[in-house]
Amino acid sequence: MLEYLSFGLIIQLLVNGILFGTMYGIAAIGLSLIFGTMRIIFLAQGTTIIFLAYICYWLFTLFGVDPYLSLILVVPISLLLGAGFYHALFKEAAALEDKNISLLIAVGLMFLVENLMTVIWTANPRSILTTYTSLVFRPMGINIPFTRLIALLMAVLSASGVLLFLKKTLIGMAVRAASEDMVSATLVGISPHRVNAVAFAIGIGLAGIAGIGVATIYPFDPVYGFIFALKALISLALGGIGNVYGALLGGILLGLIESLASFFLSGGWSDAISYAVFLIVLMFRPEGLFVRAMLKT
Amino acid sequence: MKDKRAIILTVLGTIAFAVVPFFLDVDTSYFAYFLFLSFCYTVIAQGWNFVAGYTGQISLGQHAFFGLGAYTTAIIWLHDITKTGYYFDPVTMMLSGLVPVILAILVGIPLLSRLRGDYFALGTLGVGEIVKVIFVKGGAFTGASDGLHLPSTMFESMKPYYWTGLILALFATAVVYLLTRSRIGLALRAIREDEMSAAAHGIHILKYKIFAFAVGAFLAGLCGSLYAYYLLHINPDAVLKLDWTLYPILMCVIGGNGTIMGPIIGAFFVTALFSVSNIYLVQMHPILSGTLIILVMKFMPRGLIGLIDTIKSRR
Repeated sequence: MLEYLSFGLIIQLLVNGILFGTMYGIAAIGLSLIFGTMRIIFLAQGTTIIFLAYICYWLFTLFGVDPYLSLILVVPISLLLGAGFYHALFKEAAALEDKNISLLIAVGLMFLVENLMTVIWTANPRSILTTYTSLVFRPMGINIPFTRLIALLMAVLSASGVLLFLKKTLIGMAVRAASEDMVSATLVGISPHRVNAVAFAIGIGLAGIAGIGVATIYPFDPVYGFIFALKALISLALGGIGNVYGALLGGILLGLIESLASFFLSGGWSDAISYAVFLIVLMFRPEGLFVRAMLKT
Repeated sequence: MKDKRAIILTVLGTIAFAVVPFFLDVDTSYFAYFLFLSFCYTVIAQGWNFVAGYTGQISLGQHAFFGLGAYTTAIIWLHDITKTGYYFDPVTMMLSGLVPVILAILVGIPLLSRLRGDYFALGTLGVGEIVKVIFVKGGAFTGASDGLHLPSTMFESMKPYYWTGLILALFATAVVYLLTRSRIGLALRAIREDEMSAAAHGIHILKYKIFAFAVGAFLAGLCGSLYAYYLLHINPDAVLKLDWTLYPILMCVIGGNGTIMGPIIGAFFVTALFSVSNIYLVQMHPILSGTLIILVMKFMPRGLIGLIDTIKSRR
């Protein structure tokens, strides 16, 4: 294997990893927001992403809507879905001390959505084929598929959007305050339900963007969601909880690890490697790799 | 007084379950299979209950211990290691419980000393996935993704499975009951309530946490061994799937976590629900289960035990 190794190949592996990892990153940002205010590990995130990918698939096959154009429909749907999830499912559980309950509600939701998708769309993998699916750019001999480039662009733009929202708007600041300390935030008049619902809506809104990214890049099936959620969790741990860019970088790092591991070892081991990295980071840098030490006092 | 009543009820209940095979054809009856499955789940659920309900450490890696138990049984049998007959052999089953204990101690020392709460849960999830990859990639020793085939001619009747399942469920419940009643149980509950204060009172936190984690692993491994005898074809998809962690957790929480009866009630209730919906609503079954988990968690967060307590206190 090593005799094929060249500088160009290394670059290609790195590029693949970065492009691959942005999807994990964008899912991880959503998880991070939800975890930030509610301390809930929303395990159904990946399944929700796949569900929204199916919505995009439906819009494409039934109505011929271009996947990227469907953003203007899918994102509002997912924002509403997120707020709906919070008000219908997590409102009471978020206030409880026992976090098992919200974890289990998420598991229940995952079961429900996963199998609903199996009933509606069957377990066969689906994919969206457009005129630009196989379009590949070749700057300096490196293959960059068009759809992945767009996914990277969407990820960076949405991460910046979320960051701006959190920094500049009043409700965004309230979300940040609630992530720091919910009790004090409540004392200064922030309604916990409102910030939780906003965090959830944005988290699922990002899932909508990730869903479109997934739908245009890979073939997907209902059970893929859980693996995706695990990968997002790993990215989150790598990047550090409550850190928007950290989560995105964590996803990219995970993508790099997977891309390199599956080349140098065989494909199956790459999962074990990424979990091992995850464990090591959890143990030695539980605050994440991209947090400056002085933030924590 | 209360203790005496509980013991009498347990003995009566056990006898009632034990005589079922004399009245019911265990080999063909779906009801007997349902009971067998409920016993299996009770064993794992009690183990998880001990770790999470009494000690407060949420483990999401029980399926690794379960699968490791099943694989230990299969490997000991196929490689003729202990030379003790293998089929329902207590030595093999004990070893299948002990190998997961070794893993629990090995991963428990780094994980439990460094990680708390959600992080520990995620860490155990990672361990579970790594174990799965190791078995899938294990080559001829673990049979890779096709798994290991045990001599299936050994299977004659469902009866030994039924009784062994019952004995294991009883054993698991007794172990958890006795441990929680002892000084160890007191220490574990102190850790659950407030780690800092427990440490200040001279409790060696790490030692007790690892002990609880190992007990949970032991019970999961025992059950894995029994299930290996039942399947006779062990493969990663069957014994290392996350369901073996998620279902017992569901059972504990639906039944009532941190109580001795909760996991038993939960195991029977959830298995019954799964079985019924499996027969009558084939494709809808997991949808129904998902909906039920959500509803129970939303409206009865303390589980069925909590519901019973509420009804009792109203009277």
